Amino acid sequence: MRSEDLIALLQQDLAPVRRLPPPGVRLARWLLLVLPAMAVIVAAMGLRPDLAEHLAEPRFVAEALAALATGLAAAWAALASTVPGTPTRRLALPALPAALWLATIGEGCWREWLVLGPDSLVPALEPQCLPEIAAISIVPLAVLVLLARRGAALAPALTAALSALAAAALASAALSLFHHAEAAMVVLVWHFGGVALLSGLAALSGRRLFAVAA
Amino acid sequence: MPPRDDDSGQWSRWMAAAQDGDGAAYGRVMAALLPVVRRMVARRLPGSGEREDVVQEVLLTVHTVRHTYDPARPLLPWLAAIVAHRCADLRRGEARQVRRTSSIDDLPETIGAVEPNMMAMDVATLGRAMAALPERQRRALELVKLREMSVADAAAATGMTPGALKVTVHRAIKALKGMLTG
Repeated sequence: MRSEDLIALLQQDLAPVRRLPPPGVRLARWLLLVLPAMAVIVAAMGLRPDLAEHLAEPRFVAEALAALATGLAAAWAALASTVPGTPTRRLALPALPAALWLATIGEGCWREWLVLGPDSLVPALEPQCLPEIAAISIVPLAVLVLLARRGAALAPALTAALSALAAAALASAALSLFHHAEAAMVVLVWHFGGVALLSGLAALSGRRLFAVAA
Repeated sequence: MPPRDDDSGQWSRWMAAAQDGDGAAYGRVMAALLPVVRRMVARRLPGSGEREDVVQEVLLTVHTVRHTYDPARPLLPWLAAIVAHRCADLRRGEARQVRRTSSIDDLPETIGAVEPNMMAMDVATLGRAMAALPERQRRALELVKLREMSVADAAAATGMTPGALKVTVHRAIKALKGMLTG
């Protein structure tokens, strides 16, 4: 078949399509659906008793806000990645808050190391928090994948990784509101490391998640 | 007069009209984009004998994802991303085919009789050829030819129009023939 004939065929009975809203609008829809679900989870688990005390600590607040910002930036980037032609540098947006998040955790680890030495590594030896983060991520991830599938995921592994990063970072931020006090090394290994692990696993299943969409 | 690459403002308006269901505007923008796509594909795949196939893949993808175009933005970066994706798809498919083809000689014969082995080999070869098809072609072929779904049902399942689905199945069969006889 000639390409000119293909165009003629595609042109026949052309159906109108619903234009994909900009990533910012889709991000707002995601938050509208996901934030109430996260609020219910936090309320069901109960706020940690020492939350007010922790909210006075700049490091705790910076860490939670950086995790939240990573989640929001990654969700925006995941949705933007389904619009062909979005510049790659924009899709790297989550790297900034993620670096800030890592820096705040790293600073905490350094302080613990100065006080405890090698003993500060001990709490991280047992898997903690990861199952909770994975469980809390399910709803935000599912909603984000559904929203992303409306677009064209030309790079499915990237879209899947960004989606998982968004959901897991948001889950980590939520977890810090109700989980008991944790060592910085635990946060580094099981929060940040867990989020990275979940993103990597999602990237591997990207083609399956977005097969029909592109 | 041949279309120029700096007509993108007009192309954006035509594509916006096409998103609203204007078939004539769609025909105009696709005809204008065709030489642009050919040039982009030629730059990315110099010397490839499948360039026109890739061009048609690009046209089909443009058709499938035309709702993702934002008329407030230039059309060419959007188109270039689709072209890059389809060219990369072809390279991946070729690489897969080379890997799989080279391993066929290593398949062990488990049954003494020649004929069952030949049949098993045919099925295995067909399976590999199917796996080497672009995702959309494989899915269309599976739904229509293997699961025997109607064109309308398969079109609904894949999000393509019936016309685009028929073209995709046709192209998948052509590609399979090429792989199995080439």
